[in-house]
Amino acid sequence: MWIYIIRKMFSTVPIIFGVALIIFVLFNMVGGDPTYQMLGKHANPKLIAEIRHEYGFDQPKYIQFFEYLKQIATFDYGRSYATRQRISEMISNGIAPSLSLAIPAFFLGTLLAISISLLVAYYRGKWIDKVFVFGCVFGMSLPSLAYILFGQYFLAYKKGWFPISGYETTWPDRLEYLLMPMFIWIAVSLGYDVRFFRTAILEETNQDYVRTARAKGLNEPRVFFKHVLKNSMVPIITNVVIEIPLLILGSFLLESFFGIPGLGSITIDAVHNSDFPVIKAMSTLISLLFILGNMVTDILYTLVDPRVSLE
Amino acid sequence: MAKNLIQKNAFFLILTLGTSLLFSGCTFKSKIEPPNTLHLFSIAKIKGLDPIYADDLYSGTEVARVYEGLLQYHYLKRPYVLIPNLSESMPEISPDGKTLTFQIKKGVLFQDNSCFKATQGKGRELKAEDFVYSFKLYADPKLTSSSWWLFDGKILGLNEWRDAAIKADTSDYSLPIEGLKALDHYTLQIKLKQRSTQFLFSLAMPNTAVVPREAAEHYGKEFINHPVGTGPFRLEEYNPSSKLIWIKNPTYRKEYYPSEGEPGDKANGLLEDAGKELPLADQIAVTIHVETQPQWLNFLAGKLDFSSIPKDNFATAITASKELNSELTQKGIKLIKSPSAEVTHETFNMADPLIGKNKLLRQALSLAHNQEKINELFYNFRSINAQGPIPPGLSGYDPLIRNPYRIYNLEKAKELLAKAGYPGGKGLPPIEYLNTADSTARQFAEFTQKSFSEIGVTLKVSTSSWPEFQGAIKNKKGQMWGFAWLADYPDAENFLQLFYSKNASPGPNDSNYSNPDFDKLYEKSLTLTDNPERTEIYKKMVKILVEDSPWIFGAHRITYTLTHPWIKNLKPNDFEHSKAKYYRVDPTLKPGNKK
Repeated sequence: MWIYIIRKMFSTVPIIFGVALIIFVLFNMVGGDPTYQMLGKHANPKLIAEIRHEYGFDQPKYIQFFEYLKQIATFDYGRSYATRQRISEMISNGIAPSLSLAIPAFFLGTLLAISISLLVAYYRGKWIDKVFVFGCVFGMSLPSLAYILFGQYFLAYKKGWFPISGYETTWPDRLEYLLMPMFIWIAVSLGYDVRFFRTAILEETNQDYVRTARAKGLNEPRVFFKHVLKNSMVPIITNVVIEIPLLILGSFLLESFFGIPGLGSITIDAVHNSDFPVIKAMSTLISLLFILGNMVTDILYTLVDPRVSLE
Repeated sequence: MAKNLIQKNAFFLILTLGTSLLFSGCTFKSKIEPPNTLHLFSIAKIKGLDPIYADDLYSGTEVARVYEGLLQYHYLKRPYVLIPNLSESMPEISPDGKTLTFQIKKGVLFQDNSCFKATQGKGRELKAEDFVYSFKLYADPKLTSSSWWLFDGKILGLNEWRDAAIKADTSDYSLPIEGLKALDHYTLQIKLKQRSTQFLFSLAMPNTAVVPREAAEHYGKEFINHPVGTGPFRLEEYNPSSKLIWIKNPTYRKEYYPSEGEPGDKANGLLEDAGKELPLADQIAVTIHVETQPQWLNFLAGKLDFSSIPKDNFATAITASKELNSELTQKGIKLIKSPSAEVTHETFNMADPLIGKNKLLRQALSLAHNQEKINELFYNFRSINAQGPIPPGLSGYDPLIRNPYRIYNLEKAKELLAKAGYPGGKGLPPIEYLNTADSTARQFAEFTQKSFSEIGVTLKVSTSSWPEFQGAIKNKKGQMWGFAWLADYPDAENFLQLFYSKNASPGPNDSNYSNPDFDKLYEKSLTLTDNPERTEIYKKMVKILVEDSPWIFGAHRITYTLTHPWIKNLKPNDFEHSKAKYYRVDPTLKPGNKK
């Protein structure tokens, strides 16, 4: 496995280089001029030239790209053009709030989705299956904004069960602010997850080994929980684990509406402000997380399927 | 064996890592706030707390809680009046208007901070030298201050100091500047290149505030997160994207609530705290609400002391007669209406060979643009139709003037379009309208598109991101776009400079309007103080603009603010950023505390 991990890590180098090149070209083509963002309404040609010189925008493009590669290698992207904060601190300060919301919501949501999927697959075609499938389709057809608006107005403002919005750095104060966004996260993801997991489980129930197990006289719960669940884990893991590292990036809508100072809006704000250092840092981070997610998925396959080997 | 162990524990490793990150930097305690706490909000994230970068309204407001400048605006008087802040009195001005001498207040202390090593963290006294140092910070090319425009070309020798710093690639703060001198610890002399009444206004802005050299040098680039000023509040907690907590500065100088205002202030209870020591509140909790729904609901739930009314909630809060609905009135909520010192407009790019050269075409388009409908659809009638660029409340605004091209008149528009050479729009290529991608901007563009189609003119909307949109305008591309201008200071010059030819793109004159007659009047107005002669010149300039129509003048929007009964002394003020020092909370009027 170590050889696999080392090999994978080496393979990230050309991927990151490719991503860097694409981001650099795209930003220089359509990203806007950060000088105008910095000077705002009071720009003039002399000031523009001064700012360009100060930030190195007047350097040849290949030198700017080389600087970018150096930043990737050193993990030091400097400061944001827009907020003048250290980017490493912006990211590290945003990770904890994003994860405070994302991790519990993700794990609870996944657990609930797998449980419901097993239940509905077990009762396939019965009324309980139909009710849940209908619920899933209904839930999926509602935009997440609708859940947020309803939750904030009805559950928080009208009923007073939750705070309308806010965030605290201290525990346990933070928890009360996270409950409603967490429930909304789960509600939004549940429909898609249950349908996907249900299909994965049902595919397994049609396999020959399941028929054999039943023919051998194993009872249905044992067939389901011992054999079907384990074998349907491969597609489920593919779907679930790849998302785990990306949880760090947070949720734009939930964080914006609930005032959670996470990483959800950092990339969007950066694009809006032509904040190239932040765009560079976040695109590299996203690439690395994606590669990490793939790697963890591959490793977990070996746990659930003995036929899979990383050698 | 080891391989299996790692594989089995992989899941728990991820979980442990996640949990550690989750709880990192957290403490397990609850906070209790004093009853006299203001609960305010900002609709944008705070860009930082260094005055040299506080060029946006929201950062400027936060900066003004902790930093102060030489002057400030009288909180209650209208029209706006400048009064001393850190200056003992208004400056002594030489007969030629070029030399300003300020006496600095004695005994003003910077807030306690570990950067003051010589006094073991105790804040030292403010000196005139601090202003000399601070103004050099604004000019320092290495720091790329967004507030440099306020000083650019104004102070004798400051531009030269900046140019020398650019040349040497380092800034020498020890070099003297002819126009910026501390004559002694309490006397600051500023020599201007030419008389400028606007310069005094800039000294009341948060982005010309004074900072201590010790703090700027101690914190370096992190100074943006460690404010050390002389202001009424000091920073207790700071998260630029969610919350700021300010507490009363215990070493704040003696400053008092004003004893006089404008007629009606006494009746409105705005003089009840006259003579009381400022700040009146013990703490300010500022929450960031980038979305309107949580802001609105938090206000209704009493978690915010006052609020604007989001567009989508207007119909439920305000009746057809433009008053507050009974449900809100019963809660003791009050409505305050105040016109904003701003103007919305559709800009014509005068550098464009088609639109810029054809006055009749611009006049025709202006006549076809139905402002009444815009007011209804987009502003819920919370606006005054703009006849020119100057908003109400500023010298030069003439309520009697009627712009003949801002009356919705399709017949007249068609007539002028024909005279312009395009009868029924025939032969006129589609006009390129630059636009951003947000929904409101899209709706505006669609409205304009529909309006122009009534006279046979086609509008081709080019949608782009904000940076691309801004880049296109600064490079004089496109033929039309929508915009709004909010005043930096209460002088019509701030609006009229938008048409001065030397300010053309990438400067603030993004319509690239150029008219020698206008320029002459503008230059003359700069040499005058606020007097009837200057007001007459402003009116002449507006007449020229009305005739040339470089903009389709839109509206001066009216701000509707809702306030809870427990917040006292709230009076809209577009220019004074340090308003919160005058606010007071009456905790007995809060739900649950009512007697």
